[in-house]
Amino acid sequence: MRGPATLPMPAAAGRPLPREQERYYLASQRRLIWWRLQRHRLAMASLWFLLALYALVPFVEFLAPYAVRARHADALYFPPQRLHLFHEGQFMGPFVYGHRMTINMETLKREYQEDRSQRFRMRLFARGEPYRMWGLWESDLHLFGVEGGGTLFLLGTDRLGRDMLSRIIYGARISLTIGLVGITVSFVLALIFGGLSGYYGGTVDLAIQRFIEVIRSFPELPLWMALSAALPARLEPVLVYVGITVILGVIEWTGLARSVRGKLLAVREEDFATGAVLMGGSPAYVIRKHLLPAFTSHLIVSATLSIPRMILGETALSFLGLGLRPPLTSWGVLLSEAQNMNAVVLYPWLMVPVVMVVCTVLAFNFLGDGLRDAADPHA
Amino acid sequence: MRRWMLGLLAGLCMSAGLPGVAPAAEEPPALAARVAAGGLPPLARRLPDRPLKVQTESEAAYGGELRLLIGTPKDLKLLFVYGYARLVRFDRDYQIVPDIVERFEVTEGRIFTFHLRKGHRWSDGAPFTSADFRYWWEHVANNPELSPAGPPPLLLVDGEVPSVETPDAWTVRYRWSKPHNLLLPDQAGAAPTMLYRPAHYLKQFHPAFTEPQKLAALAKAERRRSWAALHNAKDSMYVMDNPDLPTLQPWRLAVAPRGQVQVFEAQRNPYFHRVDQRGRQLPYIDRLNLVLASPAVIAVKTSTGEADLQARYLNFDQYTFLKKNERLAGYRVYLWSTAATAAVALYPNLTTSDPVMRSLLQDRRFRLALSRAIDREEINKILFYGFGVPGQIVVFRDPTLQQVDLRIANARFDLAEANRLLDEMGLTARDARGFRLRPDGKRLDIIVETAGESTEQTDVLELVADTWAQIGVELLIRPSQREVLRRRIFSGEAVMSVGVGGGEFGLPTPDLSPGWLAPVSEAHPQWCQWGLYFESNGRRGQPPELPAAQRLVELYRRWLVSTERAERARIWAEMLEINAEEVFMIGILGGTLQPVIVANGLRGVPEKGIYAWDPGAHFGLYSPDTFYWQGGRR
Amino acid sequence: MLRYILHRLLLLIPTLLAISLVTFVIIQLPPGDYLETLMTELQAAGEKADLQKLEFLRTQYGLDQPLWVQYWTWLTGLLRGDLGYSFEYDRPVSAIIGERLLLTFVVSLGAILFTWVVAFPIGVYSATHQYSWADHALTFLGFLGLATPDFLLALVLMFISFTWFGVSVGGLFSPGMETAPWGWAKIVDLLQHLWIPVLVIGSSGTAGMIRRLRANLLDELKKPYVVTARAKGLSPGRLLVKYPLRIALNPFISDIGNLLPEVVSGSIIVSIVMSLATTGPMLLRALRSQDMYLAGSFLMLLAVLTVVGIFLSDLALAVLDPRIRQGAGRSR
Repeated sequence: MRGPATLPMPAAAGRPLPREQERYYLASQRRLIWWRLQRHRLAMASLWFLLALYALVPFVEFLAPYAVRARHADALYFPPQRLHLFHEGQFMGPFVYGHRMTINMETLKREYQEDRSQRFRMRLFARGEPYRMWGLWESDLHLFGVEGGGTLFLLGTDRLGRDMLSRIIYGARISLTIGLVGITVSFVLALIFGGLSGYYGGTVDLAIQRFIEVIRSFPELPLWMALSAALPARLEPVLVYVGITVILGVIEWTGLARSVRGKLLAVREEDFATGAVLMGGSPAYVIRKHLLPAFTSHLIVSATLSIPRMILGETALSFLGLGLRPPLTSWGVLLSEAQNMNAVVLYPWLMVPVVMVVCTVLAFNFLGDGLRDAADPHA
Repeated sequence: MRRWMLGLLAGLCMSAGLPGVAPAAEEPPALAARVAAGGLPPLARRLPDRPLKVQTESEAAYGGELRLLIGTPKDLKLLFVYGYARLVRFDRDYQIVPDIVERFEVTEGRIFTFHLRKGHRWSDGAPFTSADFRYWWEHVANNPELSPAGPPPLLLVDGEVPSVETPDAWTVRYRWSKPHNLLLPDQAGAAPTMLYRPAHYLKQFHPAFTEPQKLAALAKAERRRSWAALHNAKDSMYVMDNPDLPTLQPWRLAVAPRGQVQVFEAQRNPYFHRVDQRGRQLPYIDRLNLVLASPAVIAVKTSTGEADLQARYLNFDQYTFLKKNERLAGYRVYLWSTAATAAVALYPNLTTSDPVMRSLLQDRRFRLALSRAIDREEINKILFYGFGVPGQIVVFRDPTLQQVDLRIANARFDLAEANRLLDEMGLTARDARGFRLRPDGKRLDIIVETAGESTEQTDVLELVADTWAQIGVELLIRPSQREVLRRRIFSGEAVMSVGVGGGEFGLPTPDLSPGWLAPVSEAHPQWCQWGLYFESNGRRGQPPELPAAQRLVELYRRWLVSTERAERARIWAEMLEINAEEVFMIGILGGTLQPVIVANGLRGVPEKGIYAWDPGAHFGLYSPDTFYWQGGRR
Repeated sequence: MLRYILHRLLLLIPTLLAISLVTFVIIQLPPGDYLETLMTELQAAGEKADLQKLEFLRTQYGLDQPLWVQYWTWLTGLLRGDLGYSFEYDRPVSAIIGERLLLTFVVSLGAILFTWVVAFPIGVYSATHQYSWADHALTFLGFLGLATPDFLLALVLMFISFTWFGVSVGGLFSPGMETAPWGWAKIVDLLQHLWIPVLVIGSSGTAGMIRRLRANLLDELKKPYVVTARAKGLSPGRLLVKYPLRIALNPFISDIGNLLPEVVSGSIIVSIVMSLATTGPMLLRALRSQDMYLAGSFLMLLAVLTVVGIFLSDLALAVLDPRIRQGAGRSR
């Protein structure tokens, strides 16, 4: 009988591998993806950027120097305030000057002049307006603020004298989470329908495919418009928010479902799937344990690329007056308040939220691209 | 020597014009060619025997076109509104005077006799006679297919239809058994109930005068479902989109709107009945160009000089932007007053279905407290640069709008008193956040619903919420949609709504209807059900529960039939006082300003005017037919 | 092949039927109807003049009929080619849509052309010079176009166009040029105004197209036959054009079906901001005022366009790729 010693293996077999190579060969799928992703510098930068953004979401009350509805009657349409470091040659740390307001009665414009006799230092961990943290406890600590009597409008104010920076920070909470909630809705729908369709095939597949086709035949925006117009607008703001996210998610899921189905159809013919079935696995088990992991990465990529579409969709709807409306604050709502020539010509700082939208959307896109390259380099 | 004096005398006579011999007035140059070629009768035969003489500026000259920006094809009604040719119209003192009719008589307030101008013709040359009134009354208003709901409500006095008499071609008489004070103000309004039609034109679309088969074929050719639909479509006296329909307005649509047309051209009406003091036929301006654009872009287009006369779709908050481009685009920005009694007002729904809120809102002290807790001065400063007039109901004493009737305005900001009133009512319990509790233990919050169309309203509400919080009342804002809001008010679900103030016009004259001060219409958001009760004569809705409201209804009924001016004035005064006392409507401020763009060189537009829809027809009151271009062109 | 075509055609019918049902439901979802909206509007504006006509209109247009009757009327009308009647414009729907179709196509086609013309060279360059500095920069630019909300971009461009180039704002023609007969001057005027909508709409699609083209081309360039051809001495340029590029363009053909409706919908926002006489603002107004026939028929039209487009492109693909005909389905 021939034993292991006579197997046609090269003499070098059995020598231990260098540590890195060993790690590489033993690494799981996820690790591999992670390592490949790290080579993509832009994608990594986007990842950190997004993680930082989302990490800030629970703390907006703390981060924003002012409350979301705080207004200053004597600082309407205040242009962005400049932070100074030196006063008359002396270093003072970051501070702002006071201001005086005059109304130009000819043009009915408010004009602000710096008043150098008044200086207000900027403070870290300043005491500002009180708020309820997560509705649980009261606090008045803000990340940064300004000494008493001063104003800190780093991005200017709007027509009611509300600080733009604070509003943008608060707006982030809604705009960023809308994407997440919407994508969850999409995911669930896509997995259910795509899974059923791909796994069972046959008539089930046919019916679901027709259903998907029907939904996909409608161009995105008109469908959003129609559904939003139907949303009873007098709902409580929270319900309107939920409604909008559902609407956004309901359209997106079809693309995902198709990919799920496609991949399932391909994968279920594979040997390992057949093996699992032969060994007695129930359909749910087979799907969950064996088929899904094969294309989770693909799903994640699709999700990452869908979220920015939802964020843009929300801004579009708010612009049309069909999405969220004040007093809810999102980037879309802020932009809809800036979408007139008044803003573009006279008060351009009202358009700053677009920078946030652009950055977030770009970040998601780069991340998605990077993930796709990392997950499926041969796709 | 004598010959010299004779010559002088002759010269003087000729230059002065011998009385009784009118100098031959010039034809509008735009029409001169047609008249010379025989296509139009000469001026003397186009005007009525006694046209309406209007005083205009002496340098007025013919010529040019006026460009206006409109937001929807329905704005073609501006040809009718700005043209402002009415049977009777308002003059600049808001008195009702004859316009199309030569004179009118009102007997016992219930018999209205209109005397038309002999020789007055429609824009196509056909005579304008009492037959046109007869046609409308017999064949339109009383035709079951054209008017399924019967004659319009304006003509019903307590359900009674008038007897319409046309004793001769130039006289029309409407006779009721009871006085009808609403008729004349309506006829002088921006969008009156039209009592006449060009019968000679519309007859071809009516089965009483045209063979039904021919009519059916005509309807089919125009893709209309029935002769009635065809007739209705052709009969667009208000939204003047049918160029074949004869009109009495100074300009008429020249070409049918079709296709990608974004520009509607209107040309002068050669048979218009007004002349200036020199006998020249109005209007001075030959053409109106109505350019269609999306409302959002209109402000921008105006700022680049694409409009010669514009106020519609321009808001006060665009003033700075418009002013900036004045020199570049070649126009001036005027600021007209709106005489609005309340540009923004809160309407407590006195017939709300929530019993606790209902009893609270019906308590005068509650409404007064809410009103006292509004810092109107601050709102005025923040949103309107201080130009508005703070007040619960803003009424002025005279057409120059300088003097506010402060007692009626009732605008004092007094948190202490507001708190005291609420304490007096027993609403002393407070919750953890400092808001008061209702008698049933829930937090006292008031949900104010808006039609969701105006950021101005939402802004005001935010400001009000701050001061109401200081008296322990929480204000929650719910944007909605107009029809939904209307339905919720009607059903009582909405507790409070916000909108534009009841009476648009804060210059009370005894002849205008005080209807907005009393629960007499379903359209009033503060007492929708009571108003319906009145309108339906008790068949629907609910009767007013508050004695003050009942008194208002009684006063209104008296106004409707009062034939004495002094009595009507007294009724007005009392109704205003009751409203000021009872705070049925919580107005925030009135008298806001409206920017008006006037191109350089356009004359006749007053620098200070009142921009109101009814009465006033926006520009109508100031007679755009008397506007002219300096030197005859832009 | 024929079987395949028949099979797809048969499937079309229930799909279209379902689409019509969904469209109708969506349009009817908001409470109330057109007349109610109109009545509230008129009341709010204090206009009594036309209130009389409303009762008449209600019976005329069957708005007092039960919903399923309204649906049936609309559906049978559609089958006859009668798109219905618009209350708001008071004219047949086909006339209203028809008037706007020309300009909508002009804008949409312009955007598509822009997308191709810009994305093509950038995609090819990116693929052939992968990871170079220019690759990153150009891709970034493409993404920037994707990320910026259309309406804001349109607004800013409008402002720039006016202040720097003196071109009148809003609309596709300068005032006075629209009614002018078609001629050289009119075309030049059109182009002067067209560049903004084309740029805004096109910018969103460019990034996606660059990405796709780049990915496809990269895949092709790694394939063995390319290596073989290079080894055999074929010059890179000629090689590129002869095979990989054509294969890489494959998805573009298959995507055409989807492209037009997407662009039409993408042009809606820009059209609204710039007040163009295209179908976008018309749709928004119709949805808002519940002009049932106009909104419903137009949505139906767009959906039909998409379905037919997909069908045609599937057909094209089936001709090109025998595997499809065997029914293995294509993964998108």
